[in-house]
Amino acid sequence: MINGNLKTTYRADEQIFDNFYKKLFISLALAFAVAMPLFANDYVVLVASLVGIMLIAVVGVNVLTGYTGLISLGHAGFVAIGAYGVTIFHNMFTSWGMVEGIQPFVAIPAAVAVSAIIGIIVGLPSLRVKGVYLAVATLSANFIIIFLIELDALAPWTGGRVGITTPDPSFFGWVVDTQREVLALVLFFVFATVLLVQNLFRTRVGRAFIAIRERDYSAEILGVSLLRYKLTSFSISAACCGLAGVLYAYFFARILPEQFELLLSLQLVAALIVGGMGRTMGPVFGVLVIVLAPELLKVILSATMGDSIQAAQFRAPIQEIIFGMLIIGFIIFEPLGITHIVDRFFRSLNQWPFSRG
Amino acid sequence: MSNTTLISRRRFLASTAAGTAALATPALVSAQPTEYIIGASLPLTGPFATAGQLISPALSMAEALINQSGGIGGVPVRIPAEDSAYVPQNALANYQRLLATEGDKVVGYYGDSTGFMKLVAPELKGDQARLMASTSFASDLANPAENPYQFLAGPTYEDQFDILLQKIKADGGSTVAFVYSNTEFGADPIGFGKKRAEELGIEVVLEEVTKPQGADIPTHVTKLAQVNPEYCIMQGYVTGVWPQLIGGARQFGLDTKFMGTFWGMEKLIADRVTNEAGPFLEGYQGVMPYRYFYDTVGAPKYEEFGAFAKANFAGTPLENYMPTWALQFLCGMELMVEALRRVANDGNELTADNAAEALAGISDFDTGGFFGGPITMVNNKVGTGRVYEYSTSDKLFKPTSDWLTV
Amino acid sequence: MGVVLQFVINGLMSGAIYALIAIGIVAVYKSTRVVNFAHGYVIMIGAYLYYTFAVLMADVPWLPAWYAAWEPQWLLDQRAGAQMFSVEKAWLDWLSNLPRIVIGLILAIIFSSFLAMGIERYTMRPLLGQSSFAMIMVTVGLISVLSGIKGILWTGDAASVPHLAPNPPIRFELFDTPIFIFGANLVSMIIALVVFAGIVLWIRYSSAGVSIRAASEDQSTAYSMGIDVTSVFRTAWIIAAATGAIAGAILAARDGVSPSLGLFGFSVLAIVLMGGLDSFIGVLIASFVVGIIEALVQWQLGGGWVEVTPYIAVLIVILIRPHGLFGQQEVERI
Repeated sequence: MINGNLKTTYRADEQIFDNFYKKLFISLALAFAVAMPLFANDYVVLVASLVGIMLIAVVGVNVLTGYTGLISLGHAGFVAIGAYGVTIFHNMFTSWGMVEGIQPFVAIPAAVAVSAIIGIIVGLPSLRVKGVYLAVATLSANFIIIFLIELDALAPWTGGRVGITTPDPSFFGWVVDTQREVLALVLFFVFATVLLVQNLFRTRVGRAFIAIRERDYSAEILGVSLLRYKLTSFSISAACCGLAGVLYAYFFARILPEQFELLLSLQLVAALIVGGMGRTMGPVFGVLVIVLAPELLKVILSATMGDSIQAAQFRAPIQEIIFGMLIIGFIIFEPLGITHIVDRFFRSLNQWPFSRG
Repeated sequence: MSNTTLISRRRFLASTAAGTAALATPALVSAQPTEYIIGASLPLTGPFATAGQLISPALSMAEALINQSGGIGGVPVRIPAEDSAYVPQNALANYQRLLATEGDKVVGYYGDSTGFMKLVAPELKGDQARLMASTSFASDLANPAENPYQFLAGPTYEDQFDILLQKIKADGGSTVAFVYSNTEFGADPIGFGKKRAEELGIEVVLEEVTKPQGADIPTHVTKLAQVNPEYCIMQGYVTGVWPQLIGGARQFGLDTKFMGTFWGMEKLIADRVTNEAGPFLEGYQGVMPYRYFYDTVGAPKYEEFGAFAKANFAGTPLENYMPTWALQFLCGMELMVEALRRVANDGNELTADNAAEALAGISDFDTGGFFGGPITMVNNKVGTGRVYEYSTSDKLFKPTSDWLTV
Repeated sequence: MGVVLQFVINGLMSGAIYALIAIGIVAVYKSTRVVNFAHGYVIMIGAYLYYTFAVLMADVPWLPAWYAAWEPQWLLDQRAGAQMFSVEKAWLDWLSNLPRIVIGLILAIIFSSFLAMGIERYTMRPLLGQSSFAMIMVTVGLISVLSGIKGILWTGDAASVPHLAPNPPIRFELFDTPIFIFGANLVSMIIALVVFAGIVLWIRYSSAGVSIRAASEDQSTAYSMGIDVTSVFRTAWIIAAATGAIAGAILAARDGVSPSLGLFGFSVLAIVLMGGLDSFIGVLIASFVVGIIEALVQWQLGGGWVEVTPYIAVLIVILIRPHGLFGQQEVERI
């Protein structure tokens, strides 16, 4: 409980930002986000964009895993579909002679829609299986999606193994071709996605998801259609990942199928676990840790071991071990993630001097 | 729609950003930097770690030797390397990070894979462009019209297939099988190979795709045995699969002659396989763009490297022998630094465009022994190579053809 | 027809190795209800351990000479007379490698078992009674940890290691078709099947096996009946690691040691789910079926398709029979 959360009207109870702290936080975050593309240096732009793109995808995974309780180890596949989808649509529209300035307004929704539809297809096994079976089914779907992208027969559209050059979108003549500009775009979508998803859980749909997470058969008995809501959850979550893929394609000048393999799927889930499942801020904390930890590690290692090649050789394995330890450590010691730590911190601050953390 | 007529948001952003940058760093005058940087990403971990770790000592050697001979226009050069784990986006992140932190000091880059080179190619424009060599001999990279900044210090895989197919033709062969890994590295020259084989009247009896590592050897050998080709060209492997495949085929009793391309021609690997599993690599042939390191006659550069290695790498496998992969790096540096020096000597700025122009102008250039003779950059590559054959008795690759230029 | 037979036999041989790997996953699942996503990486470590003790250690100067190559005079004499690639030569080569093969395999099994005990003690036991999600994710975390440990201890070498058995070519005719098998693969298949059968029988008839089955039925009841459940868990993990080390050694000898063994584990996981997580016989059948399908796919469609074959197969099976071919449907009560 946070002080200052006294509600006197129903309207106040329904607000998303229901207290001063949240309002302050969101205003500061917005100000920070606006300042970032304007003032940050190239390196910060690079890292911030990656954080933003990952964040959108993890928000998607959160809908499925955090709120609906379905495990997926294959969400990188949806990111791939978004990235390849938007590229293919752009190429198609260009060949049709569509004006460049309006292409992204069609291509982005189309790519996201394709991701959502594939999400429904991949979600089909979720109606019959749960837990480990679903994890393996989604993992398999990821392998198959990458395989299809690499397939020679589809190479005229997807570019095959060697990847495909991605378009620079033009929004009514604003050509987004530098990383700084893409960052602005990414930040816009980050806020939009986080808010939309946060709002989702004030609706019947969102509550149905949570009911399924708690106990799916009970939910069904209470009148929540498992078929409908599990697939809805899959499609929303795939759509978010698709959007992340779209931005990924815009950010990098070229994409390769191998960028969307298992490793990315694991990173998405790991970020969610580290940050905290089923919480709005969970993905934010998680992604910050997962993306920034390697950068930090690099700084620490080069400070302690020097820049030699022998030191560089150990960076990747140490990074892998830390990545794994983060997952294991959080599950064993703090299953609710960083959000929970932050909650505890604020709670004890709030109740000071009567709390002990 | 034209975007010059609108006062676009983008321009507004760009000018604001430029303004703040100018305010933040007022002393940004383009003085001569204190050092130049040629960055490198190497696969120090991951599937091709063996190769990356064997190349890495060559970096410090190249750095020392370039600086001994005056750096670039008197400015010393530093060659820092980072690990990519053979993941293209890691290498891209390394490159972008280096540019973001070091800026104009960076005058060149050495990439670690075909994937990276393709990934980075469309990013190379404006102030993000640098002259770039790599471990890859992918055919698409030799394309100065689209991408003037990337070059190959040797022949493309397609050229290498061409050389091998010509050799097969000259030896009277009529059937060939292509075995390649399921990667862009493996699939690169296959389309061209089929076309070229048809032109030469050689029948391609089998195209077999394998996993890049841990391939199911018995099944592949069985398939090979069914068509029983006279020759088999393997592409897309480094340390694994190809030795096991040859071993399996020999045990099967196949007398197919196996051939490889550059990445399958390392003496250290062939020696190791021979020591571990017996002399079945006898007669293995392949194309190598350079001389082997023990072929020092008329190669002053190799003698220089040899002296440096003796002094600095004593006790390591590199003391008396430089692997082919390190030679590829050294040759890439040789050409890159030559181009940069030419730009510096003309008194021009070391921009990627100037460097690329100087590189394209290299002709009849004596590399000091990497190749059989003076070379000329055509289409940002050096289309020269030679067929070598491995002998298990003295553990050397010996030339079986003249230098061929395609 | 004839050619098909050859590929079916190849498929059976790789199927047996799948089964050997799969038994590790099933044993752990049956006793602890944990599906080990990291099993492929346990195998990879096993393979690298075998590589270390059988190949790298051979170069250590202070070890006796017979460790690197056991070469008594009679063996040298025989080998000088033997022909390259002949059956006799294959046997003699194997004999001289035998000390390091045996020691390497035993040490690989022992060290893998230590690793498994560590994993069980420090990552699995704290999670006793937690949701399956937590367990799955911990094994997913293990993937990274094991792969990182491998990266620090061993470089990415794709090196050759000695076969467990002599590797002469074996040729015979079956239905008028010449069939060809590598000797070592045949022996590997037999080893795999014997180990598989041994473990199944052991779980069926030994008292330790009965404890395992009891723990898998209901952990708390087993506890109250005086069964040492933690030791059951440890046993299951040791079985998984030991079979994994043997499978790792076989695979490393067949295809070379490489980090790709880790990814291999995922396809075996798919096979296990196809067969049904708790059914040994189902898993055995699924292993052979996938092995054969893979060999046929390799023959007809090429290598790219093989990599996704198990995944496509498991998706189809899961959609039709959600708990695998022979798996037990869990009854859920609200």
